[in-house]
Amino acid sequence: MKVLKYALLAAVGCLTFGLGSPSFAQQSAGDAARGKDKYMAVGCFTCHGRSGQGGALNYPAPALVDLPMPADALAAFLRNPVGDMPPYAAAVLSNADVADVLSFIKSLPGRKDPKTFPLLNQ
Amino acid sequence: MPRKPEDSPALDQPAANRRNFLKGAALSGAAALTPAESQAATPVPQQIKITPPGPRQLAADTHPPEADPVNQSSSGGEFMVDVLKSMDIDYMVMMCASSFRGIHEAIVNYADNRKPEIITTAHEEIANAMAHGYAKMAEKPIATIFHGTVGVQHASMALYNAWCDRVPILAFCGNIIEADKRLPGAEWVHSAVDPLAMVRDMLKYDDQPASLQHFAESAVRAVKIATTPPMGPVMLSLDAELQENPIENRAGLRIPKYTPVIPPVGDPGALAEAARLLANAENPVIIVDRMTRTPAGLERLVAFAEALQCAVVDTGGRMNFPTRHPLNQSQRGRAVIAQADVILGIEMNDLWGQLHAHSDRVHRSDRGVTRAGAKVITLGNREMYSKSNFQDSARFQEADLTIAGDGESSLPLLTELVKKAVTSDRKSAHEERGKKLGAARLAAVNLAMSDATLGWDASPVSTARVAAELYAQIKDDDWSLVGSAIRFNWPQRLWNMDKKHRWNGGSGGAGIGYNAPAALGAALANKAKGRLSVAIQGDGDFMFVPSTLWTAAHHRIPLLYVMHNNRAYHQEYMYLQAMAGRRGRGATKAHIGTTLTDPNVDYATVARGMGIYGEGPITDPKELGPALKRALAVVRRGEPALVDVVTDQR
Ligand code: HEC
Ligand SMILES: Cc1ncc(C[n+]2csc(CCOP(=O)(O)OP(=O)(O)O)c2C)c(N)n1
Repeated sequence: MKVLKYALLAAVGCLTFGLGSPSFAQQSAGDAARGKDKYMAVGCFTCHGRSGQGGALNYPAPALVDLPMPADALAAFLRNPVGDMPPYAAAVLSNADVADVLSFIKSLPGRKDPKTFPLLNQ
Repeated sequence: MPRKPEDSPALDQPAANRRNFLKGAALSGAAALTPAESQAATPVPQQIKITPPGPRQLAADTHPPEADPVNQSSSGGEFMVDVLKSMDIDYMVMMCASSFRGIHEAIVNYADNRKPEIITTAHEEIANAMAHGYAKMAEKPIATIFHGTVGVQHASMALYNAWCDRVPILAFCGNIIEADKRLPGAEWVHSAVDPLAMVRDMLKYDDQPASLQHFAESAVRAVKIATTPPMGPVMLSLDAELQENPIENRAGLRIPKYTPVIPPVGDPGALAEAARLLANAENPVIIVDRMTRTPAGLERLVAFAEALQCAVVDTGGRMNFPTRHPLNQSQRGRAVIAQADVILGIEMNDLWGQLHAHSDRVHRSDRGVTRAGAKVITLGNREMYSKSNFQDSARFQEADLTIAGDGESSLPLLTELVKKAVTSDRKSAHEERGKKLGAARLAAVNLAMSDATLGWDASPVSTARVAAELYAQIKDDDWSLVGSAIRFNWPQRLWNMDKKHRWNGGSGGAGIGYNAPAALGAALANKAKGRLSVAIQGDGDFMFVPSTLWTAAHHRIPLLYVMHNNRAYHQEYMYLQAMAGRRGRGATKAHIGTTLTDPNVDYATVARGMGIYGEGPITDPKELGPALKRALAVVRRGEPALVDVVTDQR
């Protein structure tokens, strides 16, 4: 029952937010500096960390560096996320904003080889 | 106002009269007793007919006053101290109050402030949380004492944490039972008919002794009950007159012998069945929470897991299993639980939570994460004592075999039975399994190390960096992590935690305001062992109980607080964002009511103001190592210190 309900909600969500529209695809090349401001302003940092390192809500909130999603997939996810990740409506975070946030995430330093960190090898 | 004896001609004997009065009071309170029974239980001459207010009371009220002595040569409080000494109670942690001035004075002068020694705190919550942290680290309870009614209410939060965490505390409060002895004003509002009623749901046992002999028996009983698994706080309400008045006949009083209760081992037949299931399982998993009571517990779990070569998931309620043991799969608990065909939960508080995922969405839902047909065995004390109001029971988890018995005590027999049940043809499969688990653990460690590099140079400082910098400074000492912040699990991921004292478990009731004082209590226990105590300290937790630092300074308890200063009640900050997101309203206002900014708190200055070494705020991660080094030099010479680190959220 519940699974069906979520599937329905997801479908409605996609319709409402008009994902995959050509205009959004055009906006996909975001601006990392603006994205950083958004990432902070709408609070992605509170659960995923300022460096996209991940964190913990009820369960772990995953690291966002090396995120495999393209911008439209990220937007689709943000409108209708899984688990305890809260949704971000287009009114709060436009598709253009999502593209900026993704650029910011991609601009983060990301993982390094831990073997080169003496403090992590003790 | 002099407190006059009721019907005694002897000057030095009001305690005896008080006893009789209290007996009468207790009996009338019991209500179920008939007048005949009540008369039989009260040693008064037959010819006196007992009707309220009672001839004895009348006589006392109408007869000329007894001589009014100004000195006494003994006190009930002294006897109470003798009882505490008989049970080797090291400390009495308190927030001073007149309702227990009788025993307070006896401790400082009669006992010369030794066994128990007084630890002064500025809040009853601090006193009880200190006792909570101490008991887990020292493996024995200490005492706390606080004011009737008002002190009990302040203490209740910390008692609740100890209750949920199944930790023994011998708590006391003062009370003035006899109404006509109370001074007008404070003594009335600080007295109660039943002062422990408001905390009874979080006590394993309580009493309000009516005589000194009654006290002795109830105190020894209380400690025995408190320290029998499942352990818990116990409390006695001490009548002020019982503490203050002279002892009528010391020779007539007897302190019962205190013998610790031996915790029960699970039924051998049931343990054998568990051993059979585990030995024949393809992927058995042990999940363990509040199991280790003594250093032996950890060693026994290692021997048991090695006998099975199976995965161990330590959920951290105690320091149960070495973090670098190859079989430690705590960082990949979900993965091993999903594959398990037999699951053994030992001293689990919330096994359901480990075996299910729950979603925090508009419609809440849950799903099992175990394999169909997986067998569940539980071993522990959980079912042996519980109460109904507070819901610390967690959700009900069905099981195929539930064994009542103390986990730590049952492990040696269970291990022997497993060794017998493992046939030689299974042995090589087990060895193979162990190797695979070891490799999987190494992969999890590599992931943790890789995760830790994210944001390494960032400011605010990443929590991983804090953990790594701290470990570098302490790893060659006999260190002890006496407290940590919410979901700050880098030590479990990165550090070599190999002994019971490396970690002291969590709060139990998730009542914030626990970590700072409980860490100090554990550090007090560590002081006697010469260990280096460190605590990761949430700023939100600290703000409940900042005067903990003064107690640390006053009693020279060596402990380094590393302030995880994310300038927020961050857990709630995230929840508020989730709420706003759900309602499509954005997150720009989620900081209202959830953050600790404007002004930022300067914790180093707070620390110095409380008389301890303070450094910070540190925002540049490169400055952290040197600051920790300086602060640890202070701790190593026997004093507390605090380093305030402005950190990223989690
Ligand atoms: C209140 C906490 C919270 C906030 C705020 C939050 N997230 Fe999440 N996020 C989560 C959690 C928890 C998950 C994991 C969900 C799951 O898989 O159950 C998650 C998952 C994700 C994932 C999927 C990652 C993966 O590898 O599967 C992405 C992408 C993501 N979040 C991006 C964002 C972005 C971008 C923002 C800000 C616009 C944001 N999140 C804000 C908690 C949060
Ligand atoms: C007595 C009490 N009040 C309120 C809460 C709700 N609460 C849960 S976590 C939390 C924040 C604690 O702040 P901090 O110690 O700084 O940890 P952080 O969440 O920032 O990591 C609060 C207020 C609680 N658990 N206990």
